[in-house]
Formats: sequence, C-alpha cells, structure tokens
Amino acid sequence: MNKSDISNPERGKTLVLVLILLNTVLVAAISALQVDANIRANQANRDSQYDAVQFTGSLIQAGAQSDYDLNTYAMLLTNSQEALVAEYSAMQRQTANDQQGFETLTLESQIFQARADRVKSLSFLMTDPAYAPASDQMAPNITGYLSDLQTYSQELVQKQNNASDAYHRWNNKSDSYVAVLTVLAVAFFLLGIAQMAQPSLRLLFSLFAIGVISIGILWTLILLIF
Amino acid sequence: MEKPKEKNNRLEVWIAILIALVSLTTALATWRTASLGSKAGDLIYQGLLNAVKRQAAANEDWRQAYADAGYARDYLVNLDSLIVQENSTDPASQEQAAQLRTYLLPGMESLATPLGTDPSYLTPQGWLNVQKRFDELEAQSSNLSSLDPLASFSLADTYFSEQRWLVVGTILIAISLFWLGLSQLSHLRSRILILVLGVIVYGIGLVWSLGVEFVFFILRGGVL
Repeated sequence: MNKSDISNPERGKTLVLVLILLNTVLVAAISALQVDANIRANQANRDSQYDAVQFTGSLIQAGAQSDYDLNTYAMLLTNSQEALVAEYSAMQRQTANDQQGFETLTLESQIFQARADRVKSLSFLMTDPAYAPASDQMAPNITGYLSDLQTYSQELVQKQNNASDAYHRWNNKSDSYVAVLTVLAVAFFLLGIAQMAQPSLRLLFSLFAIGVISIGILWTLILLIF
Repeated sequence: MEKPKEKNNRLEVWIAILIALVSLTTALATWRTASLGSKAGDLIYQGLLNAVKRQAAANEDWRQAYADAGYARDYLVNLDSLIVQENSTDPASQEQAAQLRTYLLPGMESLATPLGTDPSYLTPQGWLNVQKRFDELEAQSSNLSSLDPLASFSLADTYFSEQRWLVVGTILIAISLFWLGLSQLSHLRSRILILVLGVIVYGIGLVWSLGVEFVFFILRGGVL
C-alpha cells in the first residue's frame, strides 16, 4: 500500500459511483430496447404465420377457380368442334343423297351447338371484357387470366417473406441486446471490485470497466443504426 | 440529544424496510410485465389457431362452391341440348329426350340446386355467381367463418404496448432498488442524498406503472 492510499482511502470512489450510475442507466435503456425488439419479433413472427395461412387459402381458391373456368372453356371448344364436325358430315351426307344421314347429323350438330352456346354464356373467359376474344376465331387471353389470378397470391407471398425477414431481424437484435446486457453485467462486477479495492487498484478496475462499458455502448449503437 | 451512531442505526433500519418494500414492488412489476407478454402470446396462439380453422373452412367452402358451379354448368348444358332434342322432328330423338328428362335430369337438377336452378345466381354478364354461393356457404358455417383472428391479434397488441410501457416503470423501480442498496452501504453524509434519490426514482416508477395499468385497463374496456 503506497502513501497516497493510506492518506486518502476514499480516492476515486466518486468516479466509481458515477460509472455505476452510467452503467445502471445503460442497462435500463438496453433492457427496454431488448423488450421492444422481442415484442417486434413476436409480432412479425405472428404476421408471417398468418400471411402463410392466407396464402394457402388464396392458392386453393385460385386453383378451384382456374380449374372451373378452364374446364368450362374446354367444354366450349369440344362442343363447338363437335357441332362443326357434325355440320360438315351432314353436308357430306347431303351431297351423297343420304337424306336420313343428313337429318340425323344436322340434329346432332344442333345439339352440340346448343351445348356450346350455353357453355359460352357461362364461360368467364369468353364473356369478361378483360379476357374475351375480339372475334370468334380468336382465343381468350388465358395467359392474362392466369397471371391476374396469381396476383393476390404473389402479393401475399411477398408480404409473408417481408414479415419473416422482419422476424429474423428483430429476433437477432433481441439476442444481441441480451449479449450487450451480459457485457454490462461484467462492467458492474468490475465496478464492484473497484469500489472495494485499494485506491491504486480502483483506478485500474475503473479503466477496465470503462473499456467494457464502451464496448457495450458501441455495440448498442451498431444495433440501433443497422 | 441523539448520538450520530444511534441515528445512523435507525436510518439503516428504515432503509432496510424500504429495500424490502421496493424489492416486493420490483418482483410484482416484473411478474406483471412477464404475464403481459404471456397474455399477448396466448392471444397470438389463439388467433393463429382461429386463422387456420377459418381458412380451412373457407377452403372447403370454395371447393364446394366451385363443385356446385360445375354441377350447375353440366345441368344447364344438358338441359339446353335436351330442349333441342325435344323440339326436333325426329321421333327417336324425342323419345330419347323424354327418357333423359325422366331419368337423368332430376338427379342433375338436385345436384345443380340452387346455382343452376335459381336465375338470381346468374350475373348480368351471364356466368354463374360463385362468390354469392361461397358467401352463403360461409354463412352456413358461421361458427368457423365468424372466427376473428385479427381481433385476437389486436388485443395482443394492446398487451404488448402495455408491456413496453410497464418495462419502463419496472426499470425505474429496479434502479431505485439499486440506489437504496447503495445508500445502505454508504456513509452518513452521502447516504441521505442517495436515499432521497432512490425514493424519488421509486416514486416515479411506481406512479408510472400504476398509470400505465390504469390507462390500458380503461383502453381494454375494463379488462386487466
């Protein structure tokens, strides 16, 4: 023990006290930040799962809708073709002077045409102005229809991915804040030792504590900025 | 006159009592903060379960609505071809149409009801209004379709908000506990100053925590 230690055993205690106060305030602030990051991670995790559930629903609905609309359109094509074939065959039979064959095939053509007409009126692809063909010889805009049908699902996937990314970001921050709190707990330990030590060692422990607190502050700033 | 040492001893007892009180408050505030997080977690869990149930019901309703639309389409198409057969001059075709109307059409009609039989299900453009059928099916399964996960999430958010604000109060109370502990270890002159600081911080923390509890109690309509 040197002379100055004996003459003034309280030397440096005020500095340690100020450092303890600073560390306490830092711990308090970072604890609040940790809780906030944890809450945000929970909310993002929830949103991500909710969006995933909605996405599956959107896919199922789009699947059912496209299945129905494309089947209806396929029925239209089949019946139109059948009507046309029957009509041509009837004409062939007429040319061959087969009156009964002509009448049978004409009726068959009319039946298929009636079916085709009804299917056409029920077909979303053939009646909606956004996808309907400009003329009978053209096909509806199936590519545009399928693309539009997937738009909502794609938006949901994007939303879900964003929420998932946010969850990972906030979860990592929350974990990092816990690590910063551990670092500051080490600073508390060093300051406690400094308070109990001889004045000459007190300064040394205080310097160690300042170093550890600085690491904690720097780490927190990095977490806040990025 | 009271000696300084006796005065110091009495103060130490008061500080010890204060430390016990503040420790208890810290424990209570920490428990409340943790329980708020837990309540919010439970509500999120419940909300997600409801979301899955509701979506499963909606998926089934969409499947049913489009299956109904398919039956209705097939019925209407067959009906129109049948009418052509009935109106033909060919007796064989007329006979076939009569048989179909007797034996095939009723079954198709029952499957196609109501989309294929009720004209109100046709849109002005001519196609079947599947959305209307879906809405009806949703109304029929209202025990599932009326589940509201967003309401659970919204309530969870109020608990999270309260937790955020209550953490501030808990931290203030914890800081005050630290200062009271420090005052117990300090010498008489600095002890009073540190004690007063600790009591002030404790008071602020306590009022803050109680205020947060009161505000959120009112906001949630009387639910803790």
